[in-house]
Amino acid sequence: MARSRTHKSTSRRFFDVVHVPLLLWALALVAYGSVMVASATLGMDGGEGMLLRHAVGIGVGLVPLALAWAYDYTRLRGWQGPLIALGAFLLLSPRIPGLGYTAGGATSWLAVFGVRLFQPSEPAKLIFIVVVAAVISSFKGRMDKPAEVFKVMAYLAAALVLILLQPDLGTGLVFIAITFVMLIVGGMKGRYFAYAVLVAVLATAAVLQFGLLADYQEDRLLVFVEPERDPTGAGYNLAQSKIAIGSGGLAGKGLGAGTQSNLHFIPARHTDFIFAVLGEELGFLGAVLLLGLFLALLVTALAISTSSRDLYGALISAGIIGMWLFQILENIGMTVGMMPITGIPLPFMSFGSSSMVTNLAAVGLLLSVWSRRYGT
Amino acid sequence: MSTYRQELKSRFATLGIVIVVVLTALLLRLWMMQVLTSDSFAALAENNRVREISLDAPRGRIYDRNGVELVTNRSALAVSIDPSHEDVRALLNRSRNADTADDPTRRELDDIFGEVAAMLEMTPGEVFERVADVKQEALRPRVIALDAPMDVVGQLLERQTDFPWVRVEEIAVREYPNGSIGAHLLGYTGAISESEYARSDVYAGYELGDTVGKTGAERQFESVLQGDKGWRRIEVNASGRPQGTLEEQPARPGNDIRLTIDIEVQRVAEEQLAAAIAEARRQGYTSTKAGAAVVLDVATGEVIAMASAPTYDPSAFLGGISTAEWEALNAKSSEYPLNNRAIMAAYPPASTFKVVTALAGLETGIASEGSTYVCTGTWTEMGKQWPKRCWKRTGHGTLSLRAGMKHSCDTVFYEIGYELYKRKAEELQAEARAFGLGRKTGIDLPGEVAGRIPDAEWKKEFNRNYPEYQMWLPGDTVNMAIGQGDTLASPLQMAALYAGIANDGTVMRPHVLEAVLDSSGAVVREVEPEVFAASGASEASLGVIGRSLVDVTRDGTAKGAFSGFGIPVAGKTGTAEVKGKDDYAVFCAYAPADAPRYAVAVLVEQGGHGGSVTGPAARNILAQLLGRPIVTIRTTDLSR
Repeated sequence: MARSRTHKSTSRRFFDVVHVPLLLWALALVAYGSVMVASATLGMDGGEGMLLRHAVGIGVGLVPLALAWAYDYTRLRGWQGPLIALGAFLLLSPRIPGLGYTAGGATSWLAVFGVRLFQPSEPAKLIFIVVVAAVISSFKGRMDKPAEVFKVMAYLAAALVLILLQPDLGTGLVFIAITFVMLIVGGMKGRYFAYAVLVAVLATAAVLQFGLLADYQEDRLLVFVEPERDPTGAGYNLAQSKIAIGSGGLAGKGLGAGTQSNLHFIPARHTDFIFAVLGEELGFLGAVLLLGLFLALLVTALAISTSSRDLYGALISAGIIGMWLFQILENIGMTVGMMPITGIPLPFMSFGSSSMVTNLAAVGLLLSVWSRRYGT
Repeated sequence: MSTYRQELKSRFATLGIVIVVVLTALLLRLWMMQVLTSDSFAALAENNRVREISLDAPRGRIYDRNGVELVTNRSALAVSIDPSHEDVRALLNRSRNADTADDPTRRELDDIFGEVAAMLEMTPGEVFERVADVKQEALRPRVIALDAPMDVVGQLLERQTDFPWVRVEEIAVREYPNGSIGAHLLGYTGAISESEYARSDVYAGYELGDTVGKTGAERQFESVLQGDKGWRRIEVNASGRPQGTLEEQPARPGNDIRLTIDIEVQRVAEEQLAAAIAEARRQGYTSTKAGAAVVLDVATGEVIAMASAPTYDPSAFLGGISTAEWEALNAKSSEYPLNNRAIMAAYPPASTFKVVTALAGLETGIASEGSTYVCTGTWTEMGKQWPKRCWKRTGHGTLSLRAGMKHSCDTVFYEIGYELYKRKAEELQAEARAFGLGRKTGIDLPGEVAGRIPDAEWKKEFNRNYPEYQMWLPGDTVNMAIGQGDTLASPLQMAALYAGIANDGTVMRPHVLEAVLDSSGAVVREVEPEVFAASGASEASLGVIGRSLVDVTRDGTAKGAFSGFGIPVAGKTGTAEVKGKDDYAVFCAYAPADAPRYAVAVLVEQGGHGGSVTGPAARNILAQLLGRPIVTIRTTDLSR
């Protein structure tokens, strides 16, 4: 497995380093997202400024994409300690006095002088993936001992504790999903999954029982179970989102012509509920196009994961797949009433630089795995 | 190594399946929502963004016969409270829940409404009472104050966050340029009641809370005055803020109406009625409070004036009347000022009915202009055990029918009544009915009573539980001959009777509507005069009556009232006896006697004598009609 890194190739062919389909799907999604953000922010106060910020986010995101691509991911293994420290710092940083910013009940932003900079939990996801990939890959693809599972779970638990300090339920769920997908690829035994599900159910019950969730989070969960509970409060968002998507019909109301969107019935329509705008304005066909692009992206990422020269790269790729897949499921799912409402952005689509930069960096990581599939 | 690779492959396959399953689940869900059930969501989206606002149609205006405005519209600033606001709703729910008897305490009301009430110079209780009004549609804002001062309105608007349930809006309300003049005839408006709303035949297309005519012409001509509501479909955003108009159907204003009333005559009639009541008090009739006056055009039946006392202010009903005010208007001690006594009450016509008795005598041949009678003050024709007295205890001596009318001698009419009784043909009743008495005139105003012309059949039915009182007795006819007993007529019927005599025996149907006009002023419909009752009385008989009635005002019981009038007037005094009450003063007349144009009837409850109380009032009303000076008359009359 471990090949020498002595002869750096200078004669690699173009397609050895450039995975055209991955770039194509990612950039197509970015373009699609930009169109939707433009439509959603059209009638907003300062809508043009937002579109500009979105474009800046994309531009900024290309930097970590390129850096991650160029950087040999296998060398990340050597940075395990500093990465853990950085990840913990990122997750804790909003709680540092003077740095945190509270929005929507969660202190999940970093701010300087009251100006929101970014959501540190977004890059923390990638760091978590890289760290856990190193841990799982050390088990050589077989996880027979409970102690190995516990070790991974300890990392997850530590991350969750830090996230719930903010508290940000949605991000916590993403971390859980990432861990599970990586455990599948990492070789965890089937029965451990059964245990894990059991533990998850018990943990959920305990969380609800002991009131560990903020009121608004509990509301959102209960509304998901029973949307009629409060039609003007938490259930209102869900109802309006469903009306928007359902009323879009087969072909949609036309770009920029969504009444639910333009008349402000859809909450957070350019961020968390961007899919509701898409569903309303572009209809089922627009949604099929989006799901098609996501499918292509995920399958491509899966192919890269499969082609990885080592388990570490495969796990990093799988973690990214888990992150994206869960965010797609959760975000679109909540807009159609299949999942509880949490504040998770839709990858490449939602307005928001933190998420955009993180996802583009993830693309860079995948490209790094791809371009080093034969060893360097 | 190869097994590990093998295993890894299956793990990737698992991951691939998860990807496909998740995306397929989302796809199916979207298919269901966007393709299978899209229509219902589309309807919800439309419902979200489109609000339909009802546009009230301006209510038609009411004019008098000369085009003077009687009722118009104006816009008023209304301060209202939104009963659907959560703070208010909580209080309402508690006060409406009869089981718990958990009415909001004064302190609670003070906490929520105290400040607003103080600004509007009301008490919190008064504010809540209006909010709790159940006569309105549940969600409609309740008007608590109309025409609040501008500075108060400004403060309320500035402090919307303190009083989020307060609304200030401009609404159209009725305006009465002449104050309370004609209040009974015109009627008042108010929010449609639930019982009215339930009558879909009359109020089809109305909404709870709509303004409708409640009484008088406002009610009678509701369908004419009420226009057609319009609507406007507007687009609203999520906060309900209007974004623009999608479609609009303007309201069609109600039609205007022109009444037969002359506002100047109406004013004089009300003043004279009030003056007659004051005069009766001066004469010692301290219980008197109420009365009525009616003026008819004898040739057409047009109502020139119709007054009722006591009266009320129709503007008190604007924006909804308070319970306290409503109770005051309906208290027994108030003498019911909302009632239009001119058509809603029936009284013994007393001696004014003697024209009917005389006509019956003349038409049957029992009497003639020259017939003579002897009045000794006591009449015992029906037997010594049943003596009847003339109002003049000392007797009138020997006198003719004409003189009997002039002096209102009861004995003369006892004689005629007794003769009519003996003929057993109920000719007195027939004569009364020939002039429309005992049935509704069909005037175009709500609430008219029929009055009563008693006969044998009626008495039998009336006393069906008292067999010993069922037989029609000579005394019944004799009492009826002087307009007493069970005989009842409304002031309108009395006026119509004299209008009929003046109009050669034909009573034209009384009416108040002259024409319906559209909002541009063009006549849509004109009311044609129609015959109400053709008595068939002969010209000769009517001539006798006419001459007799002129005698009454020239040197009979109404001599004092009409001295110096200058135009011959045919009139008759009446003093009705009502058990347990002071006498009711009645006077009926028509003028000019030689070319009759107007008939008038004036009645004052417990006001004493017709010649001294209602006669002067009738004189001054006729003076206004015929261009004679209005004078204050103090005279005496002891007749009945």
